Amino acid sequence: MRGCTFLLMLICFVVGGCDRTASYPSRPITLVCPWAAGGGTDRVSRQMAILLEQRLGQPVSVINATGGKGVTGHSRGLKARPDGHTLTMMTFELNTMHWAGLTELTYEDCVPLVSVNEDYAALMIRNDAKWQSVAELESDVMAAPGTLTASGTALGGAWHLALAGWLVAAEMDADAVTWVPSAGAGPSLQQLISGGVDMVCCSLPEARTLLESDQVRALGVMSPQRAVGFEQVPTFLEQGSDWTLGGWRGLAVPRGTPTEIVDELLETLIPIVSEPPSIGNFAEFMEAQKFDHTWRGPAEFKEFLAENDRKLGALLKSEAMQSVNEDRFSPMTYPVILLGLIAVTLVGLVLTHEKGSGPNQPTSRSLPISRANVINVGSVIAAIVAYVCLAERVGFLLLVSVILFLLLVRFQTRIVTSLAITAVTVPFIYFVFAMILRVPLP
Amino acid sequence: MITAGIESVFQWDVLAVIAAAAIYGIAIGAIPGLTATMAVALMVPLTFYLDDVQAIAAIVTTVTCSIFAGDLPTTLVRIPGTPASAAYADDAYALTRAGRHVHALHVCLWCSVLGGLFGVLVLVFAAPPLAQIATQFTSFEYFWLYLLGLSCAVIVSPGSRLKGFLALLIGLLLSTVGLGTDFSAPRMTFGFDQLITGVRFIPAMIGLFGISEVLRNALRPDELPQAESSKIAAVDAETVSSLDQEKDSNRGLGVLLWKRKLSLFRSSTIGATIGMLPGAGADIAAWISYAVSKQFSRHPKQYGHGSTEGLADATGANNAALGGAWIPALVFGIPGDSVTAIAIGVLMMKNITPGPGIFAADANPDQTTLVASIYVTFVVANLMLIPIGLAAIRAASLLIKIPRRILLPLIVMFCIIGSYSMSGSYFDILLMLAMGLLGFTLETWKVPLGPIVLGLILGGELEHRFLQSLTVSSDPSAFFANPISITLGGLCILLWSWPLVTRFRNNRAGG
Repeated sequence: MRGCTFLLMLICFVVGGCDRTASYPSRPITLVCPWAAGGGTDRVSRQMAILLEQRLGQPVSVINATGGKGVTGHSRGLKARPDGHTLTMMTFELNTMHWAGLTELTYEDCVPLVSVNEDYAALMIRNDAKWQSVAELESDVMAAPGTLTASGTALGGAWHLALAGWLVAAEMDADAVTWVPSAGAGPSLQQLISGGVDMVCCSLPEARTLLESDQVRALGVMSPQRAVGFEQVPTFLEQGSDWTLGGWRGLAVPRGTPTEIVDELLETLIPIVSEPPSIGNFAEFMEAQKFDHTWRGPAEFKEFLAENDRKLGALLKSEAMQSVNEDRFSPMTYPVILLGLIAVTLVGLVLTHEKGSGPNQPTSRSLPISRANVINVGSVIAAIVAYVCLAERVGFLLLVSVILFLLLVRFQTRIVTSLAITAVTVPFIYFVFAMILRVPLP
Repeated sequence: MITAGIESVFQWDVLAVIAAAAIYGIAIGAIPGLTATMAVALMVPLTFYLDDVQAIAAIVTTVTCSIFAGDLPTTLVRIPGTPASAAYADDAYALTRAGRHVHALHVCLWCSVLGGLFGVLVLVFAAPPLAQIATQFTSFEYFWLYLLGLSCAVIVSPGSRLKGFLALLIGLLLSTVGLGTDFSAPRMTFGFDQLITGVRFIPAMIGLFGISEVLRNALRPDELPQAESSKIAAVDAETVSSLDQEKDSNRGLGVLLWKRKLSLFRSSTIGATIGMLPGAGADIAAWISYAVSKQFSRHPKQYGHGSTEGLADATGANNAALGGAWIPALVFGIPGDSVTAIAIGVLMMKNITPGPGIFAADANPDQTTLVASIYVTFVVANLMLIPIGLAAIRAASLLIKIPRRILLPLIVMFCIIGSYSMSGSYFDILLMLAMGLLGFTLETWKVPLGPIVLGLILGGELEHRFLQSLTVSSDPSAFFANPISITLGGLCILLWSWPLVTRFRNNRAGG
């Protein structure tokens, strides 16, 4: 009986939930940031979200889908429903991760909108280090390959490629400087100051505070021209190396997004990124953060993506660069050791249990378990699974109301009380999470 | 310099920002799944419209209040509001089951405030010299520090140490899932693309503690709350009304705080010192000071079963860590935790560059005033926490009065939304459910859950720092190359060999 009502209600909601209006944007927009809260990409994304929200008239919320060296966020954003309600702040890694075999996803899976920034790699050393120029460092590396260490990002990350590429361009092995993987520029710079590594390869804005307080020194930046805001740092080109490599950030929607929606988005986005700096706008924000503010429109961005991808593919697939994606340590050693220890501990537990059993027996085991309570447990599990399966189709408000109501009834709350609680709490929860906290609820 | 700071903070607009941020921080911290970091990240766009003192005041207050507010759901429904509360979840919840939740929360509040204030003192008086220690930390020292934190989780686990060790190993194993910074391919994802990120600890924590508790309650609703808390001084939950309890608790609280003054000092020092290290924050601080507290306690048996001593020490330490985290941020511009990372971004947006220069009063008086106002804001934020925290405790305590048949479905809803909201992934909800079942199963075998969470948080870091160290030097002696690594490494070895030594001694004494 109850099952029937549930089914009926569900059908109503599925049918009701499908009626989505055609005008864009019809509901809150999600901007996927593949990197952690507080980092550069996150800051740019959040600023962009505010400006988009002001102009689109719908809430734009940033979610940090981090991990997997950027794979998680890029896949989430670019495999979303192509209706313009999910945007992705793509980064450089989009063009490296498929070459490294981490994902099938390439730039061809996206409709590029605008690129907003380009920060080139730079080489940082401690202020008291002896090297005064890239050439001096180069000759030291050449004299004793493998003795110096560098850090800046994860194994095979953007800045690792930049360093290895420079070494290969200088006709050395890609691992002539040992790469010490790290979680990001921040921890790497801390290692640099504490003497844990000899140099750090990262972008100039990431090292800005340490540069300005003279704790680290930039030997050179791998860009065609000197970077805006860091004019005192010479380029590698000026110092006789023709190696350049930069990271970039840009917005895109999934492939298959209707052209009308793409056009609408571009109409909003291009003024945002192209306005000259003035109070409260995007250019002023980028300048204050000392991020580079080179932007590209959709056609140029697409061309740039293709060319960037080709360049990185050639680099990553080249013989000289193979060591960049080689594991220094066997990845399964540690998990296997842990599994072994778990086995040993379990054996130990069984042995000590036999020896010292008695008063420590769990008291609860003696109580009988009624069938209704087992069903209660089952219904909690079912409620969670039902939410996961149906949320996208039914929508948050309706689904949660149904689930909460049924659970309350199942736990023997009177129907009227259950209805009242559902009617009060669900809209409240929705209001708090979706409106105030900007959680993109379905 | 301090007077200038006071002047700049005691403006009605700044105080209004602080009050608003305090309420906001309490609300977010109290919702499981939303961390202090997220609270601040959500606020960043807003700071664009505030002036620099207001912006910093908003950030500092939000964090202070949300770390305390994490204790509310921890105590009342055993779902840690923020990871920093996981260390003492069992103690706080045991007190609730004995009907002493108001007392537990008052302990949390007052110790948070005192710990927080102590953290500011450390920040004010010792920032530049202490920051020098932070620069000595290479991968070797971090390795030992993480190992020490993990060892503490085993030491403090109530009941069998072997079971605590098992829980830790499970946590460590879970932390190896996914694509790490040191490897080129993901591990143990079993074909699930979503696992490339690894097992996220927020949904895992909500599942392990929250859902497992719901399942337990659903399966055995008849079990009286008092049944398992026999080890605590029995207070009859049903006869003592909440109001009486509050009066009683206030009297008891003063006595407790006075008796614990030295240990509170000790745990706040630990908190501030650990908070200062980049990559180690309030969560590790809470674990380590809890372990130290247990080692020095006269009643170590109570720990894990509702010890107010452990609760007081750990909750003081996690708030003291917040002040500590600003030390490297201000002195070097290297963030001490993810919150100060965001704060540095905001400061730079206001054209203020943290670094040694910020302390040179002659060169730039504006920046020095700002530093002073950071100090003053910390003090004001902690004082503001008292009335707002008391109000929050009153409001939250109403939760306990809700009958369980209504509370349980609501908790399920919050677990679902909480695990979803961090990264908007449905997979995280399933992960939460799986962890809930795991936690439920393990608890029936009396395996503690705390070490799993810590293993999950620190496991990846431990492996990472170990491999980093091996990359830099393959010589084992490098792990003991300087005084800090010798001290930390020695402590670890001592901790692990201590049970053997005592057993040996007992055997000798007995035989």
